[in-house]
Amino acid sequence: MLDDNLDPTISPKQSDSFEECAKPMGKATINDFGEIYSSYAAGCLDPAFCLLVETQAALRPDVQRAVARAETIAGVFFESEEMATLSAGAADKALALIDAYEAGERPVAQAVKLAGEGLDELLELPEPLRETALHSYQTHKWQGLTQGIRRLRLDAGSEAEVELYRIEPGCTVPKHSHHGSEFTLVVAGGFSDESGSFGPGDISLKGPEDTHQPTGDMDGVCYALAIRDGGLKFTGVMGLIQRLVGQ
Amino acid sequence: MVLLSRKGCNSSQMGALYECEAAQGKHVSLETTGSDPSERERLADCVEQIAHARSRPAFAELFEYFAPRIKSYLIRLGSDASSAEEIMQEVMLNIWRKAEQYDRRQASVSTWIFRIARNRRIDSLRRTNKPELDAEDPMLQPAEIELPDISVNRAQLEVKVREVIETLPGEQLVLLKAAFYEGLSHSEIAKSFGLPLGTVKSRIRLAFMRLRGSLERDH
Repeated sequence: MLDDNLDPTISPKQSDSFEECAKPMGKATINDFGEIYSSYAAGCLDPAFCLLVETQAALRPDVQRAVARAETIAGVFFESEEMATLSAGAADKALALIDAYEAGERPVAQAVKLAGEGLDELLELPEPLRETALHSYQTHKWQGLTQGIRRLRLDAGSEAEVELYRIEPGCTVPKHSHHGSEFTLVVAGGFSDESGSFGPGDISLKGPEDTHQPTGDMDGVCYALAIRDGGLKFTGVMGLIQRLVGQ
Repeated sequence: MVLLSRKGCNSSQMGALYECEAAQGKHVSLETTGSDPSERERLADCVEQIAHARSRPAFAELFEYFAPRIKSYLIRLGSDASSAEEIMQEVMLNIWRKAEQYDRRQASVSTWIFRIARNRRIDSLRRTNKPELDAEDPMLQPAEIELPDISVNRAQLEVKVREVIETLPGEQLVLLKAAFYEGLSHSEIAKSFGLPLGTVKSRIRLAFMRLRGSLERDH
């Protein structure tokens, strides 16, 4: 919609026309997400979707370029931002902070001491998902769903429900529908459902009317980042995506 | 419940203001006060002086220029004045810490600092919504994640963006700003500016078309 030079779709089978895509659909195109990237660049996106955008950009150069363009535009507009009045002594405080930093009062990064089944695999995830997953693993651990399917709840700092799915080859997530919308980014491997096949960097969009039964592809374990809005009504950019999925 | 993390941003008032000023032929407060090339050079010098000599006067100069802008940006996105100032201080400390990573061939100081501020803002939202955690937990070190620019030439992009912003008709410029700096969706923009959605999309598209020269060089 905005950027003709991007690979217009995630799948060549999908239409690159925004209007034609404005219906319940399986695979999100990069055009659908143009407004999400600009909202991300501006700092207005919900943290769960920031995680989605950042992880997708780590997997896909075209998304990385779209985000960089949006950030550059935002950054240039930032120069014309108004000048807020600072509190008295703000500049002195800043200097005191850098003095304290130079004096060595800084957090020392420690080696992560963790152990447990399923942890090694988390270390292979792309950032920033890796950090979020390792963090959340401390509290939540993997939870078995059915044969070959596990999920880990992620603390993404959002009110939306965020989970990492691990799907073994050939295993199927039970058929389910959603109270609201579901956004699923494939991080590694792939899965297939009624609407098609999804590989690394692909996003599956499902509305409340859609049911699906994803099965892990045979070429390795699939990891996917899933965000569900739980029927909450989004405003702004996310509202646009909800309308795309017919909510 | 609003999942888009923009609280207290009154876009309809903003839209009405732009429309009103545009009707009076004003330049809609989009003059880029930092876009003077010599000023950009000076700011880049400051960051390098921090990197090479830990120069406090250079830091003070950056502070004077950026701290009020960062605070204003954070307030516009919904922070209250005191947390905006707290995050601004974190951003300024980050500038000090990361000065060695700055490369003037890659980006202007403004776009570099904007990304640091924006990332801090996202981090602060994450912290706000997280349960209290043990501060001694080794996993809780602040993330220093930046997307690796494996396929992006930000410097080229920035040159083109500046060119476009300087020459764009006002009616396209305000919409570009609403979408990319204020983070509004196209339908929100349509509503706040009282324009048909199709007009918003086509004006933003026109603005974006002008960037295509640089987009082509990207590949």
